Amino acid sequence: MASAPPSLSTARPPTAASPHGDRRRGALPPLPSCGARPPSRGGLRALRSVPLRRCVVRAALSTADRSAAPVESGEGKELLLEVRDLTAVIAETGQEILKGVDLTIYEGEVHAIMGKNGSGKSTFAKVLVGHPDYEVTGGSMMFKGENLLEMEPEDRSLAGLFMSFQSPIEIPGVSNADFLNMAYNARRRKLNQPELSPIEFWAYVYPKLDLLNMKADFLNRNVNEGFSGGERKRNEILQLAVLGAELAILDEIDSGLDVDALRDVAKAVNGLLTPKNSVLMITHYLRLLEFIEPRYIHVMENGKIVKTGDISIAKTLEKEGFKGVSEM
Amino acid sequence: MAALAFPRHIRTPPKPSSFSNKPKAKARTRISVRSSLAPPQLGFSDPFVLELAEALEDSLPSPSSPKLSPLQRIRDASSETLLSTPWPSRKDEPFRFTDTSFIKNSTIYPVSRPPPQSLEAPPASCEETQLPQLAIVDGYIVDFGSNLSGLPDGVYVGSLSNATSESLVERIGEFVSGFDWGDLFWSINGVGAPDLAVIYVPAGCRVENPVHLRYYSAEASDEGSNRLPLSNPRVFVLVEKGGEVDIVEEFMGGDGNRCYWANPVLEVVLGEGGKIRHSYVQNQSPCAAHIKWTSVQQEAESTYQLVEVSSGGKLSRHNLHVQQLGPDTVTELSTLHLAFNEQTQDLHSRLVLDYPRGSSRQLHKCIVANSQGQAVFDGNVKVNRYAQQTDAGQLTRSLLLEPRATVNVKPNLQIIADDVKCSHGAAISDLEESQLFYFQARGIDPKTARKALVFSFGAEVVSQLPNSFVQKKVENQIRELLVPR
Repeated sequence: MASAPPSLSTARPPTAASPHGDRRRGALPPLPSCGARPPSRGGLRALRSVPLRRCVVRAALSTADRSAAPVESGEGKELLLEVRDLTAVIAETGQEILKGVDLTIYEGEVHAIMGKNGSGKSTFAKVLVGHPDYEVTGGSMMFKGENLLEMEPEDRSLAGLFMSFQSPIEIPGVSNADFLNMAYNARRRKLNQPELSPIEFWAYVYPKLDLLNMKADFLNRNVNEGFSGGERKRNEILQLAVLGAELAILDEIDSGLDVDALRDVAKAVNGLLTPKNSVLMITHYLRLLEFIEPRYIHVMENGKIVKTGDISIAKTLEKEGFKGVSEM
Repeated sequence: MAALAFPRHIRTPPKPSSFSNKPKAKARTRISVRSSLAPPQLGFSDPFVLELAEALEDSLPSPSSPKLSPLQRIRDASSETLLSTPWPSRKDEPFRFTDTSFIKNSTIYPVSRPPPQSLEAPPASCEETQLPQLAIVDGYIVDFGSNLSGLPDGVYVGSLSNATSESLVERIGEFVSGFDWGDLFWSINGVGAPDLAVIYVPAGCRVENPVHLRYYSAEASDEGSNRLPLSNPRVFVLVEKGGEVDIVEEFMGGDGNRCYWANPVLEVVLGEGGKIRHSYVQNQSPCAAHIKWTSVQQEAESTYQLVEVSSGGKLSRHNLHVQQLGPDTVTELSTLHLAFNEQTQDLHSRLVLDYPRGSSRQLHKCIVANSQGQAVFDGNVKVNRYAQQTDAGQLTRSLLLEPRATVNVKPNLQIIADDVKCSHGAAISDLEESQLFYFQARGIDPKTARKALVFSFGAEVVSQLPNSFVQKKVENQIRELLVPR
């Protein structure tokens, strides 16, 4: 079984009790944070072995960033995702892929999952967002206190769960602008805010294109039609930037990207990170993790998370492969 | 009801002949149904058909112009054919999937002439009134408000009977009654057409504005009355060498559930190097029958582009025949059929290639969103012996959105030449699950996602309509159809 996950699962109750309303969870994506990020991650790493204290330190750091936020020490951060003993099978064949996954993610954290091909990483991500190819057979998944298993995929997305697909599909005939507009307005409706007309929406979306170094004509093209792999990934991140999310799951965002594209994408993702939202990356390589630095790295094997640690896991993986990691 | 032993619709392919200016030298004895007791030529006559033909002949005014006017010649040739053409049954291949009993079991009567209130045609939008247009109500040409003055010199748009130029009438006379591939409905139109609308484009002339033909059936019966007034609009288009014109045909059903049978024919002769972009929008009433014939003859190096969007009618059938009369032609056919009600949408197309280096692309899309809805497609392409280096492609994609919705597709290429590039493909499916999920994963609910995907399925054809006002109109029509009732 995995070693006790570094974050506190036992120390405090889930946030179902805490009132969501005053936290303004559903706020539109904040502007790229211009505040300073927690200065020394090295310092945090040193505190790895002392879970309780880390929580306090983190809370202190986040108060330093956001001057007005009244954060009680010890309370710190909201629990975003809590997955307990999740098992899932392929709906058609009944073959079991996930065999008891445990994962906890708090707000403001960057997690990464690495693992062999076929270990269940992408399946895990797809199960989280409700892909019809898979069926959950046991365990629980709670997102901000709500039970994901009782929510349709569109409701999960509106709750703040975003997934960037490993191979985004084409939708010929539907333009990027229309697609984004529809999705954005769906969110506005949920928050009881007025929807944006196509022109207002254009004004909102246009600056985001710069973030990802994309040309303006991109919005007129159909969703992913004729896009190269790199363009599709950029499109996914653009959607993230436009729609916003509390938890963004990036499924192999680095596959198929050249170094420049990867830098752009990573820069955009980093720019979207705030103390209020988290990222879960699925990747094979260290390279991405050097751009978007994760706080925790989980190793998935055979449908379970077998190891959790920090960036040193990724370095060992790079040098010695999975064998080296299992001996850590 | 007599069964006919000789199917008239099987023909030997015409031999490639050079385009001759002489009138066709075929010896045809002209026999009018009324005046002669000549024996039927092949097999038995169909009494039902004969009765209908007689009723149509009675409804038309006796010919005031000389006996050999083009319209009279069409009538004579058609009535001769009708002597031995039975009403099609499900056993005839061209009607295997198309049930015409809805028409046959009703009481059919020709429209009274002229239409009672000719001003009943639905008003055009203000954009459209700027363009040259011709309103054809119940088969009769209504000339008012047609805005035809802006056309270039030599171009004629109007009724044949109003044509002042003798040479024009003669020229047209060279082409009529030469079509061997027609069926019963082609001949019924020939017998019953009260007038012939003509669009004539002289050599080298490029007509900037699209010519808009607006068809409307003013006379109609109520739903359930089982009576069908029959109208036979007929249009002849002649584009001389190097001429270019856009033609927009729009069939409007008006409001409510009006029942009628519209049986239009469009004949096109496209001279060498000419270019026609033909838009055909069919939005007939949901209780109406609509059987349209489009026959196109393409000379060398000409381009014929058809974009069709059909969404109305209880039984709607489009018979399309494109005949290649010279090498290096370009033919592009894009059709979208929508069956959202209890209706049948049928496209039977035939492309006959007898000369080298022809290029053709056919895309047919249909959406059936009603469990009683049906779409039929029979796309025939004949690449004959001398049509070497032909490049012909045909693709049909159908979307079935309800259980028991039906589509019957028969793409067929008959290839005799041996140095050609031909392909065809057919796909029938529901909306793609992965695409629907992509929408859901972005917070868009499944209903909205389905609407967007269905609309985008049709958009591939709709986006090809060359005139933007027509495109907008059609997009709005489709959006209305997609709103759940």
